[in-house]
Amino acid sequence: MSDHTLPHHQHESGYPPVDSKAIDASVRLPVIILFGNAIHWLVVAALLSLVVSIKLIAPGFLGGISFLNYGRLAPMARDLMLYGWASQAALGAGVWLMARLCGQPLGGGDGQGIGGMLLRTLIISATVLWNLAVLLGTLAIFAGYSTGVEWLEYPGWASAMLLLSFLLIGIWAVLLFDRRSTGRAEVAQWYLVAAFCWFPWVYGTANLLLVWKPIQASAQGPIQSWYCGSLLALWLLPVALASAYALLPRLLGNHLNRRHLATLGFWMLLLLGGWNGMDRLIGGPVPAWMTSAGVVAGVLFLIPLFMISINLLGMVRKRAIVAGSISCRFLLMGLYALITVGVIGAIASLPDVSGAVRFTAFTEAKTQLWILGAISLPLFGLLYESLPQLLGRDCWSPVLSGRHYILTLVGLGMLVTLMLLGGLFTGLALADPTVSFLNITSYSYPFHVMECVAQLLLLIAALILGANITIALAGDYLLNKKTGK
Amino acid sequence: MHRLPTLLSGIFLVFLTSWLGLVAYPSLQLGRLTPVADADNGGSLPPTYGGQAIAGQRIYATEGCISCHSQQVRQTSITTSDVDRGWGVRPSVARDYLRDSTAFLGSRRLGQDLSNVGVRRPDAKWHFIHLYHPSAVCEGSLMPCFSDLFLVRKIQGQKSDDALNLTGEDAPKDGYEVIPTADAKNLVAYLLSLRHDYPLPEAPVKKNGAAK
Repeated sequence: MSDHTLPHHQHESGYPPVDSKAIDASVRLPVIILFGNAIHWLVVAALLSLVVSIKLIAPGFLGGISFLNYGRLAPMARDLMLYGWASQAALGAGVWLMARLCGQPLGGGDGQGIGGMLLRTLIISATVLWNLAVLLGTLAIFAGYSTGVEWLEYPGWASAMLLLSFLLIGIWAVLLFDRRSTGRAEVAQWYLVAAFCWFPWVYGTANLLLVWKPIQASAQGPIQSWYCGSLLALWLLPVALASAYALLPRLLGNHLNRRHLATLGFWMLLLLGGWNGMDRLIGGPVPAWMTSAGVVAGVLFLIPLFMISINLLGMVRKRAIVAGSISCRFLLMGLYALITVGVIGAIASLPDVSGAVRFTAFTEAKTQLWILGAISLPLFGLLYESLPQLLGRDCWSPVLSGRHYILTLVGLGMLVTLMLLGGLFTGLALADPTVSFLNITSYSYPFHVMECVAQLLLLIAALILGANITIALAGDYLLNKKTGK
Repeated sequence: MHRLPTLLSGIFLVFLTSWLGLVAYPSLQLGRLTPVADADNGGSLPPTYGGQAIAGQRIYATEGCISCHSQQVRQTSITTSDVDRGWGVRPSVARDYLRDSTAFLGSRRLGQDLSNVGVRRPDAKWHFIHLYHPSAVCEGSLMPCFSDLFLVRKIQGQKSDDALNLTGEDAPKDGYEVIPTADAKNLVAYLLSLRHDYPLPEAPVKKNGAAK
């Protein structure tokens, strides 16, 4: 599997050769802990998402118990997807890629010195803190302490823990960029530095103004939308793209051509990413120029997405290579999902379309495709490539990996298609005021039933991934025990 | 872009654009909106919430009502359906949220918009029954029962004035009554106070609309 180890220099000379084994050894434990926890939250989030979708066809399911109501379970599922799974997997990906691309073992030297040990302890402690915050925040929503701010439902103390934990990991990752021993920076590194700088800024600002010391509510709408858009487009997406930029050239055995396209795509993504959430406010209680900005940003956002995708997809030459690598397939599917989400977003931000489909499942479909597609698929790709390198052996069961891939794609495709169609029908029906709201609710019933099936597939996919990584890690443990390591 | 300071300053500057437009501007402008005088009764608009309604906002937040209910009537230039459906006589504007602790704008409407639920449904008794068992008053509703906001207790002496007037399957056993808890009363007080049918300078109400 790994004759193409990271990093792989064609253009640098005069730099010391990078010992990727030493780097992997130095980050192995923290990265595996981050990935392991991320996957277990993914399973919990998928389970909760299934329960939530069942509640839409049988409102009485698990009913009458306040802490199992839709209003509590839905934000729990969403936040676990965002912070438990995606952000944590992105942290793991960021640490591994940063160390590899900068050619630096943790703490310098061979990574086994006192500095390396301290940094490892620091990152692992921060990871424990992160997971504690996710757990306690989730339980707080469950117990009725939600803030009621979308995507920021965790109480203020839990979000402060998340931010602190992130800073402990993120500062190291950004500083490492300056100490790299690999010369010219790769595109993936720009994305990583940007992502690691943004999360604290975005998350800190949003929590400060909406949770810790809420600003007058008349100003909260734009800040909420800015947060939702930025969290996806400026923190999670850049890490997903960094994974693609770092791994695809190696996996495909090809160079990244048209570096200027990559540069332009990078800066445009950054510029528009923050405005990308404004389609959530089209027609809303904000100044008219913000609505216009939302429409413009939604459409313009397609440009960097196309540039980046063309840039990356341009490396695909031989189909056989793609077919043979699960990691490669996940990364490419992630790019297709990204283009799709861009097109859907552009269409949905046209005023007439937005007027009809905003507040329906259509918007939710876009969010799901963002999180489960454009962001999660590349992260899966990175996971499948990194773990064998970290463990030093081919650890995945090909059967389970294949099943995970198929079920994820089928489940996601089904979920998004149903929600788009369901949202479109609802939107058209809503435009006619003679059709009662309850009547419209009954139209969406068949869609909700099929969405449950899609969520079930996604849950099975998550469970298969969970089983796969458990077998891989348990196998590693037994192997080490046998060889007496 | 190979040196950290160069890269960081680029990232910072680019990022600043959306931060200035969507965080700093709203904080400085929308965050400083003030109430306007109410010509009819000498009060101010939007009206302040009562103590119960303020407590009810917390319940609205913790129960996650925002997962299914929005609180915004969109501009008629984007869609007329919100106004046509009777969800409000005029589009919502930023000043409407002045008295709220959190702006519950919402992003999905699995249920109806609530910006003017107090105008549409002014009866507290209806809300209590609706919260206790939504389908009892709205056949086919997706809303879950919030029966945890109510107490079933033995009638002592006379039946309480607060007791819900439940019929059919929902009716409690003989000699028992269902009464709302303080949380339920606060939540309903909040829902009843959701009325944005007054005119604001930036959002006038048409005469015929106001009569609704």
